[in-house]
Amino acid sequence: MEARNLRNGLLFAAPWIVGLVVFYAYPILASLYYSFCSYDGIRPPRWTGLQNYHRMFFEDDLFFKALYNTLYMVVFGVPLSLLCGLGVALLLNQKVRGISLYRTIFYLPSITPVVANSILWLWLLNPDIGLVNVVLHHLGIAKPPAWIADPLWSKPALLLMGLWGVGGGMVIYLAALQNVPVALYEAASLDGAGILQKLRNVTLPMITPVILFNVITGLIGSFQYFTEAYVMTNGGPEDSTTFYALDLFNRAFQDFHMGYASAMAWVLFLIVLLCTILVFKSSLRWVYYGGENR
Amino acid sequence: MKRFRGSSSRRQKNAFAPFVPGAKPFHLTIFLIAFSLVSCGRRSAGPVEIVYWTGWSSNEFNSQQGLIDEFNRTHPNIHVRLLSQFGNSGYQKVRIAFAGDSTPDIMSTVWADELASYAQRGVLTPLDAYLKASGRDFDKEFVPSLRKSLRVDGQVYGLAVTTNSHFIIYNRDIFEQSHVNENQVLRSPDALFAASRACTKAAADGSLIRYGFRPEQLVTWALVFGGKWYDPAKGVITANDPHNVAALRWMTSFNKIVDPMKSRSFQASFGSDYSASGPFFVGKVAMRETGEWAGKFLHRYAPNLRYGFFALPAPQDGRPGAFYGNGSVFVIPKACRHKEEAWEFLNWITSEKPVEKFCETIGNVPALVAAGQAPAFQKSPLFQFAVALSQGENAVGPPGIAIWPTYSREIARTEESVIYGGKDAQNALDELQRRMETEFRETKEDLSR
Repeated sequence: MEARNLRNGLLFAAPWIVGLVVFYAYPILASLYYSFCSYDGIRPPRWTGLQNYHRMFFEDDLFFKALYNTLYMVVFGVPLSLLCGLGVALLLNQKVRGISLYRTIFYLPSITPVVANSILWLWLLNPDIGLVNVVLHHLGIAKPPAWIADPLWSKPALLLMGLWGVGGGMVIYLAALQNVPVALYEAASLDGAGILQKLRNVTLPMITPVILFNVITGLIGSFQYFTEAYVMTNGGPEDSTTFYALDLFNRAFQDFHMGYASAMAWVLFLIVLLCTILVFKSSLRWVYYGGENR
Repeated sequence: MKRFRGSSSRRQKNAFAPFVPGAKPFHLTIFLIAFSLVSCGRRSAGPVEIVYWTGWSSNEFNSQQGLIDEFNRTHPNIHVRLLSQFGNSGYQKVRIAFAGDSTPDIMSTVWADELASYAQRGVLTPLDAYLKASGRDFDKEFVPSLRKSLRVDGQVYGLAVTTNSHFIIYNRDIFEQSHVNENQVLRSPDALFAASRACTKAAADGSLIRYGFRPEQLVTWALVFGGKWYDPAKGVITANDPHNVAALRWMTSFNKIVDPMKSRSFQASFGSDYSASGPFFVGKVAMRETGEWAGKFLHRYAPNLRYGFFALPAPQDGRPGAFYGNGSVFVIPKACRHKEEAWEFLNWITSEKPVEKFCETIGNVPALVAAGQAPAFQKSPLFQFAVALSQGENAVGPPGIAIWPTYSREIARTEESVIYGGKDAQNALDELQRRMETEFRETKEDLSR
């Protein structure tokens, strides 16, 4: 009976198990093997040891440029979207008339397709006829930035565009804000706390688990930044938007260097893993879970 | 089975029971797998079906479909099924199909500049024997650039139905207003530079209203200046050929007319060349590099615009009218299941009448010399000119080396780093030479295994 139950259970779970092994486990292990090979994606791979890794760290300038561009997006993009998402969520947590409509309006951009967003922002950020620069002109800025046409401004332009999608994070913050017990605010008021003190000593500590979640997902998302650059700039101008994932994609699918691209993927995985571990370690100091005594 | 015929509560444990009374999940699964395998293996009588992948879309796809319908009507033994693999994802699918040996029977989703990459990796069928058996004379029938670029290591690996041309169109009204003599401009790159300066117009605040001309694509201008990217006789990379350096320096000299950043911002405001907001149609540029398709769009979006055209002007030791051509190539993958039928279709679709019909519909230059002489391509002076250019000896295709997709992308990056990034042309091309030599050597070693 036990054996039959086990067999039936395995049979019903088989689609998932097969999917995991065939579509996840095998490709992951295969890519690890390919990362030590010269492999063009067509002919059989040839073992070359650490050659791909050596080239990546000692001979490939574009690799470091792509890594720098990606780290830029992580360092500036994650805190920026965190602050904006939280800021909007705090505003939308007020009890005012039509609040549901405001929440919908702020959330909507985050569910529009990335490609459609990218095309829209291509027009908005157009240096000559874009709406952003037209407004800046009216505000008295005679020489507004050329945005995605200028290597200095291309990454800030993409960061600006990223704020368009803070609605996703905002909804999560909003849910967390509504779970903060009202009694804590009442107690703080009795103690004479003002709005800022309540925010600092009640709201923020109570939503730190959600902040941690958004930091980690934002971090991983920023390290994998791809679609917007692929659609809008294709890495230009002057490689200023060649991000790690875009560079990896080009190596694999344009240059026939699947082995090298696999090595890049593993290095990216290790970087993301390291950053995530560091964030988790640091969270012991700043994340508060209900019921904890500190 | 008996075990599940007990109480109703036990019967509910068998999820298949409601559909097949008494069936065991294990048995049913085996039955379904066996049934699927038997169904897959069954072959129906009738014409052999071959699968054809194309990267063409919209009216080009419809035109292909029309030709295929004609082929299917006139060849009862074969049925061609056309599948669209449009866009970048379509072309990536090609790579994956080759990797998995699960290719269609024939495809036109390979770019000319990728042909050598695939051919040298042994995934394409050489066509020489088929051409010979069908009485085709490849060297006589196809335009010179294709004769070279469709051959890899001496063998023909693909055939084409279209080719392209590359030249400059200019706005006669702007030339007259700017006192530019059109007969002078086409004589030399220096004259083109002077005409560009004369036609460039800025507003009082310094913002650009129009620029005369800005050369694009070093890969082409290097050829115009007499340069080359690869020396097939010696089998070496020639990225820093002195003519290539001269071409890049000349292209960079246009920064003296318009600041490169200003030019880049201005260019970002350009609409597509295939739309009514194309910069040439709306007067944002006086001259524009274009191809044979320009006639169709000029007629559609700017029917009253007075224009002329000329080949890319070359210096004395250069190649007048030279350009780099790329385009879709038909190939028969080595892993395909119906080679003979695929060839029968390829032989038909690359013959004169279908080529003529397709190129006329989509406004492209035909790949066949004879088709180019058909009245349809000799009606308009612009198309006549384009056909003549495409059939000239200075039309150059990809150099037939496996690293060309990477190499051509790196050429574009180098061009950008010099023109907009301020790098020295010689140093940048020397650096490119070093990188591509390594890439070439390593790829050659890999391919010789």
